Amino acid sequence: MSEQRGTRRDDGPPRKPDEATCEEALAVVYEFLDGELDPECGERVRRHLERCRRCWPYFDFERHFLDGLHETAGEGTASPDLVRRVRALLDDA
Amino acid sequence: MGDAPENRREEFEREAIPHLDAVYGLALRLTGGDDARSEDLVQESFLKAWRSWDRFEIGTNCRAWLLTILRNTFLNEARRDRAHGDEVAFDEVAERPSLPALYEADPEGRVLDRILGAEIARAIEELPGVFRVPLVLGDVEGLGYQEIAEELGVPVGTVKSRIFRGRRRLQERLYRHAVEMGYLE
Repeated sequence: MSEQRGTRRDDGPPRKPDEATCEEALAVVYEFLDGELDPECGERVRRHLERCRRCWPYFDFERHFLDGLHETAGEGTASPDLVRRVRALLDDA
Repeated sequence: MGDAPENRREEFEREAIPHLDAVYGLALRLTGGDDARSEDLVQESFLKAWRSWDRFEIGTNCRAWLLTILRNTFLNEARRDRAHGDEVAFDEVAERPSLPALYEADPEGRVLDRILGAEIARAIEELPGVFRVPLVLGDVEGLGYQEIAEELGVPVGTVKSRIFRGRRRLQERLYRHAVEMGYLE
């Protein structure tokens, strides 16, 4: 990826060479939040987030979204009938 | 183990049966809300668990063990039916890193908090299988990208792309719901 692409911001100091660009950071938002980035890339994104007023709130939003997703996604209630059928299966097995 | 049959049954009742809701919940998410299929999967999984109960070590994570059995049962079936993977033809090219509408409309996530619960379960169930299955394995079961790739027999890049797109679709769905409910303009 070109070093120049997506790097222009009006609201921050010039990017350091060891820091991801906005575009690079946005492209790996989930890998970063999922802890799937290699340590070096993760560090570059982290440095970017410390300085970028545009990306940080977005990453925070995604983290919030994923927390909610993880907490609520697995819920389910087995019907009493299903519980009865499972028990009956065990008795017959 | 060599326990008497009634002890074995009591043990199973105490250790495994309390996780029925969790196992059923996972089945629902994986099947896209198919009640009948989920109940079949739960019954089959508990029967398998019961048959190999002697191999389960009391005190280890029974819930995780049961969820793994359910997952494997589902995936074996899905592989046999080719029920996932072929549902939608789409390119695997990474999405353009644009910001989701939900974020633009609700950057602090206040509306998100009000609609997450039941709505997210519904939204997951409505996802096409290609997105739903990797997303559920990652976000509900907590598997890593590599593990999901192995489970599904697809490259890690494909898993990344599908999880990305699956989550974006969820956000789009939640956004539409929030607009319909009048939480967002």
